[in-house]
Amino acid sequence: MTYILRNQKAKMNMLLFLTFLLITAAVFSLAVGQHFVSLTSVYRAIFSFDQQSTRHLIIRSTRLSRTVIALAAGGSLAVAGALMQALTGNPLAAPGIFGLNSGAVFLLVIAATFFGVTSMELSIWLAFFGSMLAGLLVYFIASLGRSGLSSLKMILAGAAVTALFHSFTQGLLVINQESLESVLFWLSGSTAGRDLEMIMPLLSFILGAIILALILAKDINILLIGEEMAAGLGQKTIIIKLLLGLSIVILAGSSVAAAGAISFIGLVVPHISRFFVGNNYHWLIIYSFIIGAVLLLIADIAARIIIMPQEVPIGVMTAFMGAPFFVYIVRRGFKVNA
Amino acid sequence: MLNKKNYIAVLVMALVLILSISVMAETRVVEHAMGKTEIEGTPQRVVTLYQGASDAAHALDIPLVGIVESWVEKPVYKYLRDDLSDVKQVGLETQPNLEEISKLNPDLIIASKMRHEDIYNLLSQIAPTVMEENVFRYRETVKLMGKAAGREEKAAEVLNNWDQRVADFREKIEAKMGEKWPIEVAVLNFRADHARIYYSGYAGRILNELGFERPEDHKKDTWGVKLTSKESIPEMNAEAFFIFMSDDQAVENTYQEWTEHPLWQNLDAVQNEQVFRVDQVAWNMAGGIESAHIMLDQLYEHFELEE
Amino acid sequence: MLKNSKISRELILIFGLILLAGLIFILSLSFGSSYISPVTVISHFLGLEAGSYNFTINILRLPRTLMAFLVGAALSVSGLILQANIKNPLASPDIIGITGGASAGAITYLSFFSADYGIAGLPFAAILGAAVVSALIYFLAWQKGVSSIRLVLIGIGIAAAVDALVTMIIVFSPISTTVQSYVWLTGSIYGTNWEDLFQFLPWVIIFIPLAFAFYKSLNLLALGDKVAAALGLNIQLNRFLLITISVALAGSAVAYAGGVAFIGLIAPHIARKMGGKSYSILIIYSVLSGGMIFMAADLLARTAFLPLDLPAGVFVSGIGAPFFIYLLYRNRNQF
Repeated sequence: MTYILRNQKAKMNMLLFLTFLLITAAVFSLAVGQHFVSLTSVYRAIFSFDQQSTRHLIIRSTRLSRTVIALAAGGSLAVAGALMQALTGNPLAAPGIFGLNSGAVFLLVIAATFFGVTSMELSIWLAFFGSMLAGLLVYFIASLGRSGLSSLKMILAGAAVTALFHSFTQGLLVINQESLESVLFWLSGSTAGRDLEMIMPLLSFILGAIILALILAKDINILLIGEEMAAGLGQKTIIIKLLLGLSIVILAGSSVAAAGAISFIGLVVPHISRFFVGNNYHWLIIYSFIIGAVLLLIADIAARIIIMPQEVPIGVMTAFMGAPFFVYIVRRGFKVNA
Repeated sequence: MLNKKNYIAVLVMALVLILSISVMAETRVVEHAMGKTEIEGTPQRVVTLYQGASDAAHALDIPLVGIVESWVEKPVYKYLRDDLSDVKQVGLETQPNLEEISKLNPDLIIASKMRHEDIYNLLSQIAPTVMEENVFRYRETVKLMGKAAGREEKAAEVLNNWDQRVADFREKIEAKMGEKWPIEVAVLNFRADHARIYYSGYAGRILNELGFERPEDHKKDTWGVKLTSKESIPEMNAEAFFIFMSDDQAVENTYQEWTEHPLWQNLDAVQNEQVFRVDQVAWNMAGGIESAHIMLDQLYEHFELEE
Repeated sequence: MLKNSKISRELILIFGLILLAGLIFILSLSFGSSYISPVTVISHFLGLEAGSYNFTINILRLPRTLMAFLVGAALSVSGLILQANIKNPLASPDIIGITGGASAGAITYLSFFSADYGIAGLPFAAILGAAVVSALIYFLAWQKGVSSIRLVLIGIGIAAAVDALVTMIIVFSPISTTVQSYVWLTGSIYGTNWEDLFQFLPWVIIFIPLAFAFYKSLNLLALGDKVAAALGLNIQLNRFLLITISVALAGSAVAYAGGVAFIGLIAPHIARKMGGKSYSILIIYSVLSGGMIFMAADLLARTAFLPLDLPAGVFVSGIGAPFFIYLLYRNRNQF
């Protein structure tokens, strides 16, 4: 195995460092924006809140919610990606490539066009169920046939489902051109505009799904040895796979619901984590969450600054950051079990 | 030898000559954004392919046989509905149906280079076509259509009327506001998931004509900016706001959210209590001379001026 | 004896397809805002209608219908070539980013340059975009040669990045062009005139016969890289040339018809379902089936919601996407 942290102590130390990095990134996220706020102000805003101060208000409201969203979405996407990679045995598995994003947008557009639904709260739930729908569809299509879930089949099924939902969405938007404007920001991802209260339920889902994943970690490690082996060792692979699937969909769905369509985090982060701790899912899940959160926070900060006062949609930012890495993975021919 | 037959022939030729000279005198060449077009006589079957043109046609009493769908209040804006509801719909402003237009047998088509540049050739084959550069230049549209439809006098009258009202407004508001004039205003728009500041464009031009000031940052030549984060609220700052939006629950919710934010409370216009909701059709969607009058009416009302 | 009966079967099929295509062609000219009976259409072409339908048929419907056929044919052949090269029945110009590249080029031009330089430059921007992105994908897939799997995977990845780019351009485009861009992305031949047709024609006339000329290479490539090499084929050279042809066809089609998706995927499959084995026949089938599909889609698009004239791409996608999924189902045992 070609990972660098070989013993328990090294892994713990790195974890502490990463956690420190996360906190730093979060603090910067609170400090940076159209009004650059000093770090002392950030401290005071959190611990000795002053209602009259504009700066404190900004930090507490908009910045806090987007920091939390970026953190939660980045972390859950990364874990979802790690789990998908285990489930499919495919190093290229990721929520974005699997049509989950386009499923969410599709359901949103249907709701907007036929039922006139555009409220934010409802949109969050629609996005959630839309991505679940897409995920189930991809899973189903890709597992047809004798060879079950194979790499290429999953990717192609994902491309197929993405294309399916995308084309229906297109059709609807072309007939009803006004709704196009409101859906655009969903299509490209955004951490702004959603209050903390709205996404609270999602946060609890995410927490639950991560706990589930951690419980399953041991079984995932066994599964990675090979299915026949796992079955031989008494593992009920079907149930494990189902639970994994559930966890993935909840994580990815919550992320889309909170932050729109963001790609590549789920693909790239597990590989970075693997570089540090190898394929032991006990560690991999935690590392992935933290690294994913850090990366998305950084992307969000960059997205805010580059073209002020406008923002680069965060999904675009991660695509540009992630595509080169994706190409690199393909060229190197990474294997999940490497 | 002038016998009877020759005499009649000469008379006929003379008549034809006189008639053709008078017809030629009625043919005019109109210069527009896509070149020059020859138009004969006074067109009686006109098709307009953008909102502002339909509006101007109504103002100039031009006989319309075809119009494009409105953006909201479909298929025709309420303020035009009484007179234009019978006119045939030819599709969307962005993609009018060529066959429908051709079926109407028009003798003049008014379109916009911004939208219809690529179908100029096809349109010209249906009927003489003139194109305005954009879709929101209400004065140029009136002038162009006046020239093209042989109603130049009426066009001059319409514009004169507008200019008079503008002058009156400027006089009255300066009298009322005194030293506070000119006021700095911002044009804002809220949508279901973001907000917009409109810089130049339809409302901006009219406000400039009327003498309003704009914040320095809003004086750019682009249409405006989309704001996704409430942190950008300070960008909106001005002494007074004119806000328009759709009649939609989600939009209302967003508007409430943004206006409840503390940064909003800090804005000058909010503190001066100079935040006005205005009609989106007149301020943004219609883009014509008559909607400009409606917009002006609203301004008179808001500032409690009498004409 | 057997050979003769097979050849004549294929000829009969081709003849049948031509007839069907001709039927759809006539119907396309009959329907629209006003109905012109097919008989009248035919007599118009025979010069018997005293020019009363000149405008509607000759100027409005004819160039548009012909364009639909040619675009469909070009995309179809492009897809066929790609599928042979990538040896994957699910490959198409859209999946691996060629269409995306053309779209990126076109949308960039539409949003930022068309106001100054006029709309006539759009097709060139699209073709340039397709060429650049394809070159990038090819280059990135190169590791002592280009393997089919690597090409597909990198194509999908680059396509995702290009899509993000296109999304960003649309989000930040001047709002006057946002809707236009979106319609363009869906695929539309609204407003096609003879000039457009004559500009697109050379691409089709040059590259489809060129593809045909390569039919032997295609037949060999379809057997798999190892077998083809063993039989003496210069794989890398042929692959490169064929992909260039595919990009030229797809790029130019997208340049004139927008980001139409799926024809490059469906039509070759329909061609294969008809039982052709040699790529010489398959190319002909592809031309006909692709052309027919797009003609039919455009016919529906401009008549189903009168007076609205909708982009044809919507109807192609509406049929294409479920078909794609059906294909995955059908091919489920082949991966």
